[in-house]
Amino acid sequence: MYLRDLGIAKPRLRIRDWAREAVLSVLRYPGRSLMTAVGTVLGAAAFVATLGISSTMSWQVSDSFDTRRATEVRIVPDGPAAGTGWFAERNLMRLRGLNGVAAAGRRIVLPELPISRGIDDRPTRSKVIGADPGALAVMAPQLVIGRLPDAYHEEHHSRVILLARSIAEQLRIFQVGMAVFVDGRPFTVIGIYDDVQRRPEALLSAIVPATVGDQLLPPDQEADRDVIVGTLPGAAQLIADQAPLSLRPEAPSQLRAIAPPDPRTLRREVEGSVARSSLILSVIALAVGAASIANAATASVSARTPEIGLRRAIGGRRIHIFAQLLGETTALGVLGGTVGVLLGTVVTAVVSMINRWTPVLDLRTALVAVGITSAVGLVAGLWPALKATRIQPVAALQR
Amino acid sequence: MLALSGVGRTYTEGAPVIALRDVTLVIDQGEYVAVTGPSGSGKSTLLNILGLLDLPSAGTYRVAGVETGALGDRVRVALRGQLFGFVFQAFHLLPGRSAAENVELGMLYGPWSPSERRARAHAALNRMGLGKRTGADPRRLSGGERQRVAIARAIAGGPRVLFCDEPTGNLDSENTENVLDLLAGLNAEGLTVVIVSHDAEVAGRARRQLVVRDGTVTET
Repeated sequence: MYLRDLGIAKPRLRIRDWAREAVLSVLRYPGRSLMTAVGTVLGAAAFVATLGISSTMSWQVSDSFDTRRATEVRIVPDGPAAGTGWFAERNLMRLRGLNGVAAAGRRIVLPELPISRGIDDRPTRSKVIGADPGALAVMAPQLVIGRLPDAYHEEHHSRVILLARSIAEQLRIFQVGMAVFVDGRPFTVIGIYDDVQRRPEALLSAIVPATVGDQLLPPDQEADRDVIVGTLPGAAQLIADQAPLSLRPEAPSQLRAIAPPDPRTLRREVEGSVARSSLILSVIALAVGAASIANAATASVSARTPEIGLRRAIGGRRIHIFAQLLGETTALGVLGGTVGVLLGTVVTAVVSMINRWTPVLDLRTALVAVGITSAVGLVAGLWPALKATRIQPVAALQR
Repeated sequence: MLALSGVGRTYTEGAPVIALRDVTLVIDQGEYVAVTGPSGSGKSTLLNILGLLDLPSAGTYRVAGVETGALGDRVRVALRGQLFGFVFQAFHLLPGRSAAENVELGMLYGPWSPSERRARAHAALNRMGLGKRTGADPRRLSGGERQRVAIARAIAGGPRVLFCDEPTGNLDSENTENVLDLLAGLNAEGLTVVIVSHDAEVAGRARRQLVVRDGTVTET
């Protein structure tokens, strides 16, 4: 009634002005603001980085443990006592009969041997793998040209060879039917492959029949022998348990089966432990952030008594002072959250880069982080804001 | 314009202290009034009550005919913010904001739009001879310039009364003279000026002088 009579408007603080005042107050001392918000920076960074790394690792786990890798079992001798008898074809037949085995075969991985296109050409050195048709079915080389060795080649010790594309290019061999010399012995190239579905070490090797591999082994050297098994999905652990007994019933403990960990369990473990760490770290950092903001804001209320008194003197109501202080602490939360999200993103990217992972970042995580730090700033500002409303305008005149 | 009737103010925090006793006073529109007195005499208390920064313990205070004792906080704040302007000895300018932004701050809670505030701030700074320093940070201004920015802040919203608490207390004689000239000029344009000072020379520039001693106000 009186205001209208006197031609005076109601005191007000527009939202735009409120936001501007909050931002200006935070930016007035950017360094101090950032130090005040350091807790929320760390909280948001921990939140984003741990969730980012967790997502990246989960992706990596699911990427690495794909169907092919998860259905592969490798059996190797567990010490010299195993001998080579377990490697016999009759044992492999028993293994292939197990329920859940899709393919199985033996390999002999020879030391690096010289391979050349002509007998007098300068050779390139490469690993040579002797693999029977069963092992080839497990490895599943992707042929660019030609065919795989078959049972005939295996039984007749045929000197045929498959070349990885990288080796074929070094030898300048681009078609089948050409001869190469392995350790001085002639072989006919029957295929060139550029990928394998299992055992990626074959990508830098040449493959010969397993029986020929035995012949190529220098008399004074040992070779790594193994049996590789391709299983049906979900059967890898079972086959790993049964394979040593199938291959060497009289002494299964002399063989060791290597199976991939269950990807679902591993993934759950990774996600679970990282998520727990993330939660604990984030909560601690955000609690520190809230305390830091509340402490700094409370201290600043005392330091800014003249300013607050001035604002009251020039027409600011208690609610305006309350809103402004809350706006400032919330802006600090937003600032801390934003810087923290950037920091967390960089950490995630660097960790991924070091581990050669593909970083997986979710925009929602960043938004949630900024939302949480804003809420932390808001809550942290309640007490200082309430304290500020008790400052009388006379305070402006007294200092 | 401003009318005190039997106003008293007693501070009751701790031992009771009587700061003002039975003050009856009328200040008309357009007056230039100086309030002087020794330290602790009650002159700042009188200014606080006149400026609606404090409430009297006794008596009545009318502003433009309106009895202020029964007003709620919102109306008192509105009266204070739009009828009155304040100039302080310590300037109370916010560092990190330009002179123009500091002047605009004085109108923050009023009815003006941001563009109106900007225009009024520049006009007020021009009026104070600071048209070329509108973007300057107060920390880079001299004491005299800071006080002129503070005066610009106080007058930019077009108040009817300007309250000045020791406005020249931190200034040298040359700047004191400049500020007093500006205040006299504003008064000549119709603005009521109430200035509190312990400096007789400053008080001497006013057309009316009040002396506060032991909480009692007398005219000279």
